[in-house]
Parts: sequence; structure tokens; C-alpha cells
Amino acid sequence: MTIADVWAVMPLMILAAGGLVVLMLGAVAPGRHGTVVGVVALLGAALWCLASPPEVGVPTLGVSLTPFARFFTALFSLTAAIVLLLSRDYNERRGIRGEEYPATILFAVFGMGVLSSASNFLPLFLGLEGLTFAFYFLVAIDRERGESGEAGLKYLLMGAVAAAFTAFGIALMYAGAGTLDVASLMKALSPEGKANSLILAGAGFLLAGVAFKMSLVPAHLWTPDVYQGAPAPVVAFLSTASKGAAVVFLLILLPAVGGVEPLRIPLWGLSLLSMLVGNLAALLQKNLKRMLAYSAIAQMGYVTLALLSGKVDGYGAAAFYLVAYTAMNLAAFGAVAALSGEGEPGEVEDYRGLGYERPFQGGVLALAMFALAGIPPTAGFTGKFFIFAAALRSGEIALAVIGILTAVASVYYYLRVVVNLYMRPAGEDTVAGRGTLAETFSLAAAALAILILGIFPGHLMELVVSLF
Amino acid sequence: MNDFPILTILVFLPLVGCLLLVPFWRSEEWARRLAFGVGLVELALAGWLTFAAPGMPQAVGAPAGFLLWEDLPWIGRFGIRYTLGMDGISLLMALLTAFVTVIALAVSWQGIRERVALHYALLLIMETGIMGVFLSLDLFLFYLFWEVMLVPMFFLIGIWGHGRRIYSAVKFFLYTLFGSLLMLLAIIGVYLIHGGESGSYTFALPALIQTRIAPDVAGWLFAAFLLAFAIKVPVFPLHTWLPDAHTDAPTAGSVVLAGLLLKTGAYGIIRFGYPLFPQAAVSFAPLITVLAVIGIIYGSWVAYAQDDMKRLVAYSSVGHMGFVALGIAAWTPVSLSGAVLQMVNHGVTTGALFALVGMLDERAGTREIGAFGGLWGKVPIFSSFFLLLNMASAGLPGLNNFAGEFLILAGSFRVSPLAAVLAFIGIIFSLVYTVRLVQKLLFATEQRSLPLVDISLREGGILTVLAFAAVYLGVHPAPLLGLLRVPVGLLTGGMP
Repeated sequence: MTIADVWAVMPLMILAAGGLVVLMLGAVAPGRHGTVVGVVALLGAALWCLASPPEVGVPTLGVSLTPFARFFTALFSLTAAIVLLLSRDYNERRGIRGEEYPATILFAVFGMGVLSSASNFLPLFLGLEGLTFAFYFLVAIDRERGESGEAGLKYLLMGAVAAAFTAFGIALMYAGAGTLDVASLMKALSPEGKANSLILAGAGFLLAGVAFKMSLVPAHLWTPDVYQGAPAPVVAFLSTASKGAAVVFLLILLPAVGGVEPLRIPLWGLSLLSMLVGNLAALLQKNLKRMLAYSAIAQMGYVTLALLSGKVDGYGAAAFYLVAYTAMNLAAFGAVAALSGEGEPGEVEDYRGLGYERPFQGGVLALAMFALAGIPPTAGFTGKFFIFAAALRSGEIALAVIGILTAVASVYYYLRVVVNLYMRPAGEDTVAGRGTLAETFSLAAAALAILILGIFPGHLMELVVSLF
Repeated sequence: MNDFPILTILVFLPLVGCLLLVPFWRSEEWARRLAFGVGLVELALAGWLTFAAPGMPQAVGAPAGFLLWEDLPWIGRFGIRYTLGMDGISLLMALLTAFVTVIALAVSWQGIRERVALHYALLLIMETGIMGVFLSLDLFLFYLFWEVMLVPMFFLIGIWGHGRRIYSAVKFFLYTLFGSLLMLLAIIGVYLIHGGESGSYTFALPALIQTRIAPDVAGWLFAAFLLAFAIKVPVFPLHTWLPDAHTDAPTAGSVVLAGLLLKTGAYGIIRFGYPLFPQAAVSFAPLITVLAVIGIIYGSWVAYAQDDMKRLVAYSSVGHMGFVALGIAAWTPVSLSGAVLQMVNHGVTTGALFALVGMLDERAGTREIGAFGGLWGKVPIFSSFFLLLNMASAGLPGLNNFAGEFLILAGSFRVSPLAAVLAFIGIIFSLVYTVRLVQKLLFATEQRSLPLVDISLREGGILTVLAFAAVYLGVHPAPLLGLLRVPVGLLTGGMP
């Protein structure tokens, strides 16, 4: 690696160095500094991504910081920064100590950055697995509560299987094509390429592994249990950045195919099942985090619909919805974290009256619910609009109609939260935490993003479409 | 574009006013006064426009028939623009919105005790949403305001309502949203067809009207639009959300719901449904006519059977809006003018009826018809307003509803005589339940001795204004009809 190469991948260097520094801090000066250093590193990486000049070095590692890579690395870094701010006080209340937490988050973002910048299957896979490993730790990090460890174990077991699928898929594709370069390999799947059965089989296994990370039906079974058991800020990070990284994985592969034809049928099926099962199952849930887990499954179904629409607008719609979805889920799970005291309010019923007792957190939670339901003027509406416009444009009329109908059904369970927040009197067992500055700031940032993207989505739309 | 963004101010003034409420969140009195003040300013603005706008030179770039026009780029990627426009029809609707909102703000002065500032803030946000619906000429912007309208009403019913308020609020929200989302798909459909044909992708209404759409596709798209609007109007049999929502809503909520929200559905058909899909609309017209007539007769019939006063007024709204739907379906200049006039009239009379029922409910704690009697002797001033406004609702000549109903019947008789005759019979039905209500409440013997005081100064003010409007519109609707002449002519003239 030359100096020029190091300079070219500086954001990744910042993230890795940041993680190591935080770990060292844990040994030398344990305390609250880990969060601060972590946030600084993340913001530094994000700023570097957003501000660095357009020309880009292409090191021989198969990693290059194209505008695409810089955009998503910045997105994941900012997401992680907000999660760190949310976690600081939450962890204190719950007794989660140690610098491992912020350090692991930084390592996770490093993995996401490597994934986003990959132009070769090896760093792509390593980035994916790197971030997944970080999440195995994060999900299980609450040592005082058994449910966290149980969730971690479930995630680990299913994740290991998914990793095996992914690795096997890549290996098959390599065997079939003789190269690990993404552009050349994916060309083989395009209409002009010669896709032999090895490559097709490999693509299938690969898709299965990615479907697990994106929690598309039927690879979604881990999601409700893990979301229920893990600490709320970790779930915020998991549901936004980890899923986002999986979507980015597909956003790297699919445009290189030049047309979504060979993968169209499985993607169509995954989208349909996720929208149906996710929304219908969420209607039955009593626990808020489980309900949000199924809602995330359904949201990924909409994203898959966008991916299916292909061409320039479909991928742009998927990327836009990713940003919108990140803001919405950060707001939702962030509000859950902020509203937790010693224990998390579990059932939707436990949120009764919190709209008045904790107006700000309750308000952000209600805003997130309306945004996820797709009510204007929120980012959820413009995102869904973008997706359905792309879907109709590419002829996916049946799926668009089904998507709209399931969206109507989904409004019911999102409304249930709002009803409990504002229309039912508080019970004696309602749990409420105090709001701290860091939490308020993070929630405000997420809420602001939801509203700005809902009223002025034009700039971001132009930006994401230009990435493809 | 006009030089001065008067339409933008008209739409967003209530929202800005709502922000003014924030420092006074804890103080009930100040919240009420500020909100009422904002409502009055909005009404003054709308009133001034009613007199000034027809005389203004037409704004540069405005399409034919539009008095005012504001147009700014917004989301370039999709050709979405921020376009507001006002013609005679939307001018009347804007005036109605400002008027009914002031009534709603005034009527809940005493009745709301908890979270007062929030209640008033929601009413103001509703005003912004409804004003936006009436003034938008870009399909995306229209859709945005259309959905935004639902949220404050959902909260108004769910928080301050009574009975099965949460059930009614959720039902209202989901039912309406279902139609709206299908309409969204149709909107995107029109956008894509137009773009494919002409190469320019836009959501602007004047441009989209020019699109040539294949008849079968147009049929589906019109059906999606019609579904969303028909749920709102409501057209039988899509009316089942209405009785629950109206009955369980607080008084101000009912006034806005019946007075304004229902009109947005009718307006949508007039402004968007027919112009975008003329042939499909003509082929659907018989269906709409049949459903409208059924709604008139059914609504009045069921209203007769009600014991709860509010539910009675709710079903009467179904009947009255059936008239409006009939007038629209006939699509002649006379019937359409009658329909728009009736939209204004119904806003006034139904707002008045809900206000009256609310006053009784506040005093007696019950809405059961059987619990009252002999009000004429006990509360004479209230009773005289009650009698006058109920007669207006029933269509007594000389009062407002008669003028609108007459025009609708005259206009639709030429197109469909049978429908007009049956609708006329519906008027008789509405007279039946009105007379029953008036007789039982005002003139029958007193059933229970309830602590009833006559109306206060504030309530008297509200009822006087409403009564004056009812009489004025009944005796002298000509100025309003004059405003409607050009836009209605343009809309119906374009029909094959």
C-alpha cells in the first residue's frame, strides 16, 4: 500500500483507528470518554467522505471510495454517531459498562465502509462478515439480562448459516467465472453474458445469505426475537445500518448485472412475501419491539420492490428509502430507548399516556409511526412515493397494488401506538425515563431528518440517482 | 404568478398561527383567544378576496378561469411544482373553510377543558390542510394536503371525542386512507401515461388534462379517484365511517368534519375526477346518480329512526351530500352550480345543527331525543334558532338549502328525470325527520327536567351569524352564482 492508497481510504482508516483508540482508552482511562472519542471519529469519517475531492484512488485491495461508497459510508457513520449518543445514557441506566461497546460500533461501521467501497467480492464479503461479527457482540452485550444473551445466540446461529450460504455462493460464482471482480463477474449474469449453472447456483446462494441480513421472508425468523431481546439502541443500529449494509450489498451487485432479469423471480417472491407476512404478522404483535421488527421486514419488502424496478430510478428509490428508513427507525427505537428507565416498556399498552408525560419523546415516537405508515409530510411518504413511481414505471403493477394495500393494513398497527400515546390515560405501571441532552439531540436530529426529507426531498433524490 | 403570494398566506397562515400558540401552551384563555384571533384574520383575508379577486387582473400564466395563480418549482426530478390556484369554485370553498373554522373555534370555547391549546392547534392545522386541498393545482401537492387533513381530525376524534371515540377515529382514518392510497397509484399512473405520451413529466393539472388515455385504462384510473372521493363525500354505500365519526367526535370536530371534510370529496370529483377523465366520468355517471339517489332516500330514512341527535344529523349529512353528488353526476351548468352552492349551504346548516346539538349536550349531558321536550317554553331564543336552522336544513324555500336543491333538481331533471323525481321524494323524507326532531324537542311535553339555561352571548353570536348566512344565501344567492358562472361553464363546456 502506498501513501496515496492510505490517503484514498482515509475514512476507513479513521474508523479503524478510532475503534482501537477507544479500546485503549478502556484499558487506560475507563469512563465516559469512549463515547466522545467514538462520536468524534465517526463524525470525522463522515466529514471526510462528504468533503473529499471528486477524484478517487483505486488501490489494489479491491476497495475504492467512489461517490457511492462515500455516500453510504457517511450515512452509516452518522447513523452510528446518533446511536452512540442515544446509548450513552441508556447504557448507564441499564448497567452496560465498558469501552467494548463504542469500539465495537466503530468496528461495525468500518465493516460497513469496507463493504460499501468494495469492487471485489473478497472485501465485499469481509465487510459483510466483519459488521455481522460486531453485531453478534452488540446484541448480546447486556450481561445482566438473559434475553440479550439469548438474542445474541439466536443471531449468531442463524448468522453463521447465512454466512456459510454467502461464502458458498461466492465460491461457486468464482468457480464458474474465474474472477472475483464484481463488475466482470456480474456481467456473466446479464442478458449478453454466458451464465453457466455454477454462476447461477452461486447467485442463488448469495441471494439467500443477503436475504437473511435484510430479514426478507422466509429468512426473517431471527428478527423478532433478536429485536425483542437486544438493547434498544443496538436494535436501532441493527435495524438501520446492518440492513442498510445488506441493501448496499445488492446495490453494488445489481446495477453491475445491467438488468435485473435473472434474479427477477426470486426478488419478486421475496418482496411479495415480506410485504405480506411482515405487515400481517405485525398486526398481531403486542410487544412494541417485535411489532417494529415485523414492520422492518415489511419495509425491506418495499425496498426490494424498488430494487426490482431496476434501471436508474429503482436503485435511486431504494437508496432514498434507505436514508428515510434510517431516520424513521432511529427515531422509533431511539424514542423507545429514551423512554426506558430501569426496564424497557415492553408492550404497546405500556406506552399509555406517555404522549403527555414525556411530550418530546412521545412526539418523536408518534412522528416515527406516522412516517413509517407513509403519511405526508414525512420522509416515509416521499420514500414510498418514489418507490411506487419507480415500480409502476417499470411495469410492476401487481406488486405495487399489493404493496399499497399492505401499506393500508400497516397503518393500523402504527396507529395503535399513537392511540396509546395520546388517547389512553396513563396506567400505574407506565415506565418513563428522564430525557437527557444527548438523547434529546439524537431524537431531534432524526425527527428533523424525517420532516426535511418529507418536505424537500428533491436534493437527496438528485444525489442518490446520480450515484448509479 | 400574482405579485403578492396571497394564496400561500391563505393556506399557511393558520399553521403559522398555530406556532404562535406554543408559548401559551399552559394558558387556556390565551390559547383560545389567540387561536380565535388567527381564525378571524383568516376569515377577513378570505372575505376580502371574495370581493377583490374577481376585479383583479388575471395573474400572468394562469389558465383560463383562474383568478389567482402561484407556481414555484419544488421537486424537479418528478416535475412536481408548488402550484396554488383559485377560481370561482375554490374561492367559495376557501371562504367556507375560513367561515366554518371560525365557527368551530368559537363553539368549543367552554366544552373543551383538557389540553385546550392542543385542541385549538389541531383545528388550525386542519384549516391549513383543507385550504391547501381546495387551492392546490399540482396533483402531488393536492395529495399531500389530502392526506395531511386526516391526521388532526384523527386526533380530535380520538382525544376529545366520546362514546367509541378510538374505534371511530381509527375507522375514519383507515377507511379514508384506503381510498386515498389507491388514488395515489392512479395519480402516478396519469403522470406516467402523460410523460410517456408527451415526453414531459409533470403533475400539473392543466397539463395532465390534455393527456389522451386509452378508455379502459382511463376507466380504472377514474375508478381509483372516484373511490377516494366517494368515501369522503360520502356516497352510499361507502358512508359507514361517517355516522360513527360524526357522532363520537367533539362538537368542533363534527362541525369541521361535516362542514368541510365532506366537501373536499365533492370538490375532488369536480376539480380532478371529471376534467382528467371526461369519457370515463360520463360512463360512470349513471352509477353515481343511482347511488346518490339511494343515499338521499336511505340517509333520510335512517335519520328518522335515530334517537341520538348527533347521529340523526350525521345521517342527514349523508342525505344532503347525496344531493350534491346528484348535481355533480348530472354535470350540466345548472346542476353543477347548484351542487357547489349546496356545498356552501350544507356547510353552513350542518355546522349550525352540530353547534346546536353540542349546546344541548353541554347543558343536559345527553343527546337522546327522548330526554328533551318543551324547549320552546324553557329556552325560547335557542329554540327559535333551532327551528330556523332545522327548517333551512330541510329545504324550506327562502332559506339556503332550497336554492341549492332547486338548482340541482332543475339541472338534473334534463339529464335524468327519474333521478330528479326520486330525489325530490327524498326532500319530503328529510322534512319528515326534521319535523319529528323539532316537534319532539321544542313542542312536545317535557320528558325530564333538565337544567337548561338559554344561550350565552357567545353562543348567540355564533347562531346569529349562521342564521344570517342561511337566510342571506336563501334569498340572495346571485353573487355566489355569479362567481361560479365562468368556472362551471369552463368545466361543463369541455365535456363531449
